[in-house]
Amino acid sequence: MLFLTLARKMYLSNLQYRSAHLVHNIASALFGLIYVSVWTGIGEGRSLGEYGLNGIISYVAFNQASLWIAAFLNNGLGMEQSVRTGQIALDLVRPVHLFYQLMSKEWGQIAYQFVYKFLPIYALYFFVLPLHVPSSVITYVWTAVALTLAAYISICLNYIIGAAALWTTESRWLYWVNYAFSMLLSGFLIPIEWLPPWLAAISRASFYPFLHYVPTRIYLGMESPSALAGSLFWCALFTVVCLAVTGMMRRKVEVQGG
Amino acid sequence: MKWIHMYALLVRASIRSRMQYKFNFWFSSIMAAIINVVEFLMLAVILLKFGHIKGWSLAEAGYLYAVLSLSKALYRMFASDVHHLEKYLVTGSLDSLLLRPVPVLLALMSQNFSIKFGELIQGIAILAFSMGTMMQTGQITWTALPLTVIVILSGSVLLFAIGLLTATAGFWITRIEELQNITEDAARTAAQYPMSIYPKWLQGLLISVIPVGFANYMPSLYILRHEAGIWLVGLSILVALALFTIALRAWKIGLARYQSTGS
Repeated sequence: MLFLTLARKMYLSNLQYRSAHLVHNIASALFGLIYVSVWTGIGEGRSLGEYGLNGIISYVAFNQASLWIAAFLNNGLGMEQSVRTGQIALDLVRPVHLFYQLMSKEWGQIAYQFVYKFLPIYALYFFVLPLHVPSSVITYVWTAVALTLAAYISICLNYIIGAAALWTTESRWLYWVNYAFSMLLSGFLIPIEWLPPWLAAISRASFYPFLHYVPTRIYLGMESPSALAGSLFWCALFTVVCLAVTGMMRRKVEVQGG
Repeated sequence: MKWIHMYALLVRASIRSRMQYKFNFWFSSIMAAIINVVEFLMLAVILLKFGHIKGWSLAEAGYLYAVLSLSKALYRMFASDVHHLEKYLVTGSLDSLLLRPVPVLLALMSQNFSIKFGELIQGIAILAFSMGTMMQTGQITWTALPLTVIVILSGSVLLFAIGLLTATAGFWITRIEELQNITEDAARTAAQYPMSIYPKWLQGLLISVIPVGFANYMPSLYILRHEAGIWLVGLSILVALALFTIALRAWKIGLARYQSTGS
């Protein structure tokens, strides 16, 4: 099956850099510890709402690990690069839809990152932090579903960012701006209900909460799985947009002269 | 003197080549500013809601943040491609720099020079807000201003030294991106917050192994909170200069080991 083949190849090509990625996990885990320390500092002598100190530590730590599933994908699914090299023209004439091709590859990337990034960081936090662990298997299942939907939204988002490169040649900046907004609006560091009202309103009207806030709260047992209806809604909407964008791309391709 | 003149010349050439893509330049400046603002906003949101973090107010935390981001902007401006040495090592393009009649480090520093407008404006704005607030409450006086300038400059030397040492490791291990993630990105992010929030081992790490704490936190203890004495500022400068000297030494040794890539 094409999907599995593409995903598997991507997984295997990442495997070559396994040891470098494991070193990188040290930095990633450190970032998480910095955020945990911020909340430990804030929590000194204060009660932290429905989360409590341990709750917020688990919240931030789980978010840090799940970055590797829901946020850190290939910049624009690698499209910026293929626009520059002209590879994009070849990719578009293949007998498979471009979105399907790139998405299949990216699932391989995510599978790899789950095994070599998410799991090691999660395991580390499990031992060094008071990390909340769900007591029922059902919670794990729903968390996995939530993260899978988050990953799909992120794939679509990066597809659109990558497609922008056809018009602007460079889309790296869009990737980082999206990342910055996502930090703030997805509830990555600060639970959405603690944002100033105007920011919280923007966040709730967007898809960002479904990347971090909703999955992590499901993991912590603070949100019912029915919240995932929102994830499904955004997945469907993004799929439509991605297909429409591909249609526009077909008419826009310009191969760079070299 | 001759080298400074050379450096200025190379920088001018670098700016000219960059300005061929004007839109790209302005667009990336604006985007960098937005990213930085959002980053600070996260800290501000938390402190506005909870008041202070381990006794550090928003103005004080803002000061720490602004001083560090200005130091970083200066370092990345004046030594831009030191951070990107990996690219040169992997592709072998360091060879062309070796042929130039200027020290390799200077040539590397002047490559892809860009004025970090976004970071500078944002840093100065937050610094002005923080220091203004603290002056109004009488926590600091005008004397803090020259001290702050000194701290920013010494901090940029310190960050440069850390960056250079990390880059130098590339002569042995070639791929340094992961290492940079730890010594530059993670360590600097940690120093954006008051260091007292960290567990002891991490505090120790940030003032000894990767002494980025001397870029803002240590001197601020004196400037903002009048703890210890002015020698804290002196010590910070000393640490920066010492590390820089070590980094230059290491760079020389590393460069002598350089072997180009085959292709």
